[in-house]
Amino acid sequence: SMSRPKTYIWGRVNVRTFVDALTKQGITDIKVEETEDGSIIDLPNDDTLIQVEPESTHIICEGNEVIRIKLRDTLLKCLQKL
Amino acid sequence: LVMRGNKLRLIDPGQALCELGLEEHQLRFTSTVYVEEDGPPTKTADKIYQLIKSKVSDTPAQYSSDGSITMSDSVLIKVSGDEESKSVLVSWSHQDEDLGSYLLQILKTGLVT
Repeated sequence: SMSRPKTYIWGRVNVRTFVDALTKQGITDIKVEETEDGSIIDLPNDDTLIQVEPESTHIICEGNEVIRIKLRDTLLKCLQKL
Repeated sequence: LVMRGNKLRLIDPGQALCELGLEEHQLRFTSTVYVEEDGPPTKTADKIYQLIKSKVSDTPAQYSSDGSITMSDSVLIKVSGDEESKSVLVSWSHQDEDLGSYLLQILKTGLVT
């Protein structure tokens, strides 16, 4: 059966910190575009767009699961957990 | 566990966030599976619905007439395309990570031939 995580995540993503963490993970092809509500991080080599807003992040990943999980875990380190 | 005044209380983490004035951060994932299959998108959606029902028996799936399938609180599966090729969008929130990633995996292996 499927388990749902018991941790809640909160806070805001510091885009610069997140991008630095991605670079340390070996992801170097990163384009950041500022939008009205936040940022769009484009990872063309990994077929991924990440939409970061104050209260939400959307990872739109057309790449493989390995990259999605790497992005997920890197992002979670930039957020607070309860 | 939240302390208010001199009292300690055990409450749901979501409620604790709210009481502490913290904003929950919504994390969502969307991935797409591309399928070469003849027929209307609704036929592919129906096939996916049957596949999901056979693979995930403990979580009910809702099938809408527009060809989208929803599960749990946050999972959305939507088929679009034409008679020859379809794209199947699979989207879920972090709370449904196990279910969402499992569905993506079974759609990748169960649809792409």
